[in-house]
Amino acid sequence: MSAVIEIEGLRKTFRSVRHGKRVAVDGFDLLVEAGQIHGFLGPNGSGKTTTLRALLGLVRADGGRMTVLGEPSPELLPRVAGRVGAIVESPQFFGNFTGRRTLRLLARAGGVSISRVDEALELVGLRDRGDDRVKGYSLGMKQRLAVASALLKDPRLLILDEPANGLDPAGIREMRDLMRSLAAAGVTVLVSSHILGEIQLICDHVTIISRGRRVAAGRVDEVLAGHDRHEFLVRVAEPERAVDLLHEAELTAAVEGTALVVSGVTDPTVISRVLGEQGLWVGELTPLRPDLESVFLELTGAGEHPSVPRQVDDSALPAGADDAAVIDLDVRGVDA
Amino acid sequence: MNLVRAELERLSARRFVQLMVVLLALAFAVTAATTLAGSHRPSEAELSSARTQAAEALQGMEATHQQCLARQNSMTPPGETDDFYATDCSEFDPIRQDRLPIAADYLPGVFSFEQQARPLLYFLIAFLVLFGFLVGASYIGADLNSGGVVNLLLWRPRRLTVLGTKLGTLLGTVLALAVGASLVYLATFWVIGQTAGLGGRPGDDFWRSLGAIHGRGLVLVLLATALGFAIATLGRHTSAALGAAAAYTVVWELGARLVLEIVDARRPDRLMLSSHIAAWLNGKVRFWDNQLCTSSSGTDPCSGFYSLTWGPSLVVLLVITGGLTVAAFAVFRRRDLL
Repeated sequence: MSAVIEIEGLRKTFRSVRHGKRVAVDGFDLLVEAGQIHGFLGPNGSGKTTTLRALLGLVRADGGRMTVLGEPSPELLPRVAGRVGAIVESPQFFGNFTGRRTLRLLARAGGVSISRVDEALELVGLRDRGDDRVKGYSLGMKQRLAVASALLKDPRLLILDEPANGLDPAGIREMRDLMRSLAAAGVTVLVSSHILGEIQLICDHVTIISRGRRVAAGRVDEVLAGHDRHEFLVRVAEPERAVDLLHEAELTAAVEGTALVVSGVTDPTVISRVLGEQGLWVGELTPLRPDLESVFLELTGAGEHPSVPRQVDDSALPAGADDAAVIDLDVRGVDA
Repeated sequence: MNLVRAELERLSARRFVQLMVVLLALAFAVTAATTLAGSHRPSEAELSSARTQAAEALQGMEATHQQCLARQNSMTPPGETDDFYATDCSEFDPIRQDRLPIAADYLPGVFSFEQQARPLLYFLIAFLVLFGFLVGASYIGADLNSGGVVNLLLWRPRRLTVLGTKLGTLLGTVLALAVGASLVYLATFWVIGQTAGLGGRPGDDFWRSLGAIHGRGLVLVLLATALGFAIATLGRHTSAALGAAAAYTVVWELGARLVLEIVDARRPDRLMLSSHIAAWLNGKVRFWDNQLCTSSSGTDPCSGFYSLTWGPSLVVLLVITGGLTVAAFAVFRRRDLL
C-alpha cells in the first residue's frame, strides 16, 4: 500500500518570553497508508494537534520530514490541498451565517462546485438545518458542520481532530458509520480522539503519542496483542486456598475482590486442572484481554496513580527517552 | 477570483461593517437634514446687504495694509516694532490672503455649498478614515482570533495569497464605499445649496481644489485602512490596533508633545503624525515655533513660522503604513497559527 501521510522525526519547540522553551513534538514518526482508518491517540498536551497543524502547514516545524499524498508538506501542500479535507480542533464559523452559506463560502474559496454543499450537509445529517444560523447550532451541530466542511472537497484524505467533540451517542455512532462508509469508498482517514472505545471500534491502525514521541504504532489488534499479559479472571469458592494451589503449580495468581487473577497462562485448562484436582471447581474462567484504553493508559502513564490529580506534563516517555529534554505542553496556552 | 468573491461576501456579512455603514448613513442623514432645516434662500435685500458688507471688509483690509506699509516705511524706528502692526506687512496684504471676504460670509442662516463644501468634506474624510481603520483592524483581527484564517488556510494553504487577497479586497471595498459615499454626500449638499441656500456656480478653481482634497482624502482613507489591518495582523487581534492608536495618541501626540515643549525642542510639530496628515490633506500647513526666532538678530524679521508640505508628509505616511504592512506580511508568513 502507498503512504498517504509520512512523518519522520518531526520536532517542534515553542519559545516565548513568559513560558521559555517548551518541546511539543520531539522526533515523532507517523505512517498512514492508503485506505486505512488510522487512530491518532495521546493524552492532553501530548502533541497531537501540534503534529496535525504542522502537517497542514499551520505550524512551522523545527525539523523532520513530512509528506501528504506524496508531496512534501508544507512546501508543496497547495498541490494536494484540494484532495485533503481537514478539521483541526473545533473550527469557528460566522455565527450570523447559515450552515449552507458557510459551506458555500468555503466551496467558493476553494474552487469546489456549489452542488457539493447539499451533499456534504446530507452526509453529516444537517440537511434540514442547513438554513439555520450557525449561532443557533449546538456544539454537536457545529462539529457536524466542521466535518461537512472537510467533506466538501470530496477528499482522498480526511484528517479529523476530535470529530466526536460535543456529539451525542447517536451522533457518535453516525460519525463512526460515516467514517466507515468513507473508508469503504477509498478515503483514507486519520482521526484523533479521546474516545478510545470509538477508536477501537472504527480504526484498523493506531499510533499513540506521549510527550511528543511515538510510543506505539501498528494494527490495532497487533498493538493490543503486544500488551496481552495472558491474564484470566477466575471465580472459585475458596480464593485464598486457590491462590496457594496455583502458586504450588508455579503459576502467578492474586486475589482481586471476590475473584482471582491468574497471569502468564497460555493454556487456561491448566487452571481448571490444578484447582479441580484439589476439589475446587471453577465457576468462571474469563480471559482478560487488553483493550485500547488499558494499553493507552499503560503506555502514556496516565492511569498510574488514579487517586492523584494528573498534570498534563505527567505523561510517560518512551523507554530510553531523556526526561529532562522533554517538557510537554498544551499548545493552546502558549505564545508562539 | 473565487477567493476575492468569498472575501467580499465575508466582508459584507460582518456585523461591524454593516453597523459602520449604518452609522455613516445616519451621520450623513442628520447633517443633511439639519443643514436643510437651518437654511433658506436669501432675499435680494439680504444679498445686497451681504455684498456691501463683503466689499467694506475688503476695503478695510486694504486700508490696514496701506497703513502698515506707511508706518513701516516712515515712522517705525529700526529695531522697534509697533504693538499693532507686524514687522511683515504682507500679512495684511489682501492679495496674499488665502481667501477674501465674500457675500456668503455675511448671510447667516443661508447654506453656501461653495463655502461649506470643504468642512463638510473634511468631516466625511475623518469619518471614512475612522471607518477604514476600524474595519481594517476588525476584519483581520476577528478572523485571526476566531480561527477563520486557519479555516481558510486549510483550503488555500498559501499564506501570502490569502492575506494579500484579504487586504486587496478590503482596500477595494473601502475605496468603492468611500468614493460612492463622498460623491452622494457632495451631490446632496450641492442640491441643498441650489434649492434651499445660496445658489450659483462655483468656478473651476473651486472644483479643482475640492477634487484635490477629495483625492487626498481617499488616499488617507486607504492608508488608515491598511494601517489598521497591518497592526491587527501583527497583534493577532482587533484590540491591538485600537490599543496602538490610543497609545500613540496619548503617549506621543499628547505626552511627547508636552515634553518637547518643556525642553524647548525645535519644530516639535513635524514629529507628529497629525501634522503630516494635515499637511497631506491641505497641501501645506504652517506652524509657529518661538525657538526659530531666538537665534535671529534684532534687525532680521522673524515670523517664527515653518511649513510642512504634502510631498514629504506623504512620504512619512507611506513609509509608516508601508513598513507596518510589509512587517505584517513577513510575520504572518512565518507565524504559528494556533
